[in-house]
Amino acid sequence: MKPSTQIAPKLRSGSQILIEALERNGVKQIFGYPGGTIMPVYDALVGSGLKHYLCRHEQGAALAADAYGRVTRKAGVCIATSGPGATNLVTGIANAFMDSVPMVVITGQVPSALQGTDAFQEVDIFGITLPIVKHSYIVRNVTDIPHIVNEAFQLAQSGRPGPVLIDLPKDISAGMGDIVYTPPQAWPETGLPDEEAMQAAAEMLSQARRPLVIAGGGIAISDSVEAFRQFIARTGMPVTSTLKGLGVMPADDPHYVGMLGMHGNGAANHAVQNCDLLMVVGARFDDRATGHLAQFAQSARIIHIDIDAAEISKLRKADVAIVSELAPALEGIRPERTANPGWQAQCAGWTKEFAWRYDAPVKGIYAPKLLRDLSRAQPEGLTITCDVGQHQMWVAQHCTFNDPLEHISSGGLGTMGYGLPAAIGAKVAKPDATVVCVSGDGSIMMNIQELATLKRYGIDVKILLLDNSALGLVRQWQEIFFEGNYSEVHLSDNPDFAAVARAFGIQARSIKEPEEVSDALEWLLNTESAAMLHVSIDSMENVWPLVPPGKPNHKMMRSTPDK
Amino acid sequence: MNHRLTIKLSGSEGAVIRALGLIERRGFSLGKCSVGEADISGRVMKVSVSSTRPGELLKRQLERLHDVFHVELKPVAAVKPRTLGIRPVTLKEH
Repeated sequence: MKPSTQIAPKLRSGSQILIEALERNGVKQIFGYPGGTIMPVYDALVGSGLKHYLCRHEQGAALAADAYGRVTRKAGVCIATSGPGATNLVTGIANAFMDSVPMVVITGQVPSALQGTDAFQEVDIFGITLPIVKHSYIVRNVTDIPHIVNEAFQLAQSGRPGPVLIDLPKDISAGMGDIVYTPPQAWPETGLPDEEAMQAAAEMLSQARRPLVIAGGGIAISDSVEAFRQFIARTGMPVTSTLKGLGVMPADDPHYVGMLGMHGNGAANHAVQNCDLLMVVGARFDDRATGHLAQFAQSARIIHIDIDAAEISKLRKADVAIVSELAPALEGIRPERTANPGWQAQCAGWTKEFAWRYDAPVKGIYAPKLLRDLSRAQPEGLTITCDVGQHQMWVAQHCTFNDPLEHISSGGLGTMGYGLPAAIGAKVAKPDATVVCVSGDGSIMMNIQELATLKRYGIDVKILLLDNSALGLVRQWQEIFFEGNYSEVHLSDNPDFAAVARAFGIQARSIKEPEEVSDALEWLLNTESAAMLHVSIDSMENVWPLVPPGKPNHKMMRSTPDK
Repeated sequence: MNHRLTIKLSGSEGAVIRALGLIERRGFSLGKCSVGEADISGRVMKVSVSSTRPGELLKRQLERLHDVFHVELKPVAAVKPRTLGIRPVTLKEH
């Protein structure tokens, strides 16, 4: 018998095994920025199968990885060095945590022997991010790398997704080992929804006279849009959505009453305050959505369906709770009847009464109308990312979405500076989509350096910049709640944004008259490469309606109270 | 309300501080705390906490951590003031 061939040990660096582990977990693109302690990884990156996008600030890399994760439902990957590189990722990690986005974050760390000695560019990023990660690791042995990477992806992408941090000391990433990558063991499937609970939910729904469903962010996260739409088609119940649930229902669906909450539609807020049964699907009773919690849907019993047991009865007690994936729960709940023509007619009446109007007498371009026209200019294949503020609320109110993944918005953390890097991440993930970043003059400055990333990689992102020369939403709150005592909100010294874009090699146009809008949108959406349309709007325009803090959703303000 | 928690968790680096940080962050004050030796199966932490928030909430949030394997929750009755068994009297009764 021939002796079996001896396999020569194949010595590889920790960085090489890291890159193989990333590739084996399906990673093709990563966003990052090099530095001292992560250099062994960057050395191994050259000639690897991974495409690296060099952003110009680590925060940009993290937020791009966030949007990538949102639209693909696979963990976006960002990578940075230790110290300031790692701390610059923190906002992006917190952003992913708050919106349950799958993400794997790799940070360089000083060599193991130097840890805890206040070494150059040393920070305890593991300790700093403990409250804002789903889980995290410090790698102590080269041989642990494959297992840690596998587990990180499994954790990031399963159950309620979230960011997972891997802190990688330089001696480990440079260290050699004879390591064979082993693929992960598949985790057991999550259990099916409890039969009794589904039965109880069905009975409660059948008995309800004014039932309402809330579509939350969990539906997009778990790829359950189809299951949700079929449930509504089968049961005929009215539906409202949170910010993260926009697009779950087609905007013109007769069951849909609009978005609820602080800047929600009057129809949705009246429906939720008058319902006698609230079925909450993949939502978490966030304060922006509920208004004053004690008065939220006061007469309603609650059915709460979510993958995360810790959300059940966290803020509002659930009468029936189903902890499971959303789709099997939606398929398994079969009420005998839910159609109540009187209630459905009432909801339809509110939808008509509170339909958005675009006939306000405004000076110059009216942002809500502009955003409605944006959606109308391209009804299919449009993905909108936005920053945070008044424009973000107007996007939520006036743009139409056919799918929740067409609306990429920083909900839980509300991160200004999200829009541009998010547009980069979304476009890299979906090269065939038309990606428009809607931003404001405050927000765009926060990650303006990412215009260089657009240029460097030829990323065809369109920027619609609404410029009211102010930190709009804060200015609005100071007008309403601080008696017009404006503090640090006037941005009258903005640069010429179109000139800034051109300096980065991005084509740009500026408009300020309503007659210019139609041609300008046509140009923006059809021009061959990245472009910015800078739109000047009235600096005193406010977002309405507004549910003030401490008030229930039906007590919406429609204008600033007179002094 | 006071609770006593027995937490079975991983022996990995960071597990204890992750759990302790979560307890305080979620609005529970730490009373006594003991952390056992880590072995191959992990370690056990015993913590007493107090809060106006329900203990069940903390249990589920702890169990959501990848490092935490199991949480046993026991409400602890608050100490009642001692009575001497004497009927209270007012001056009028004399």
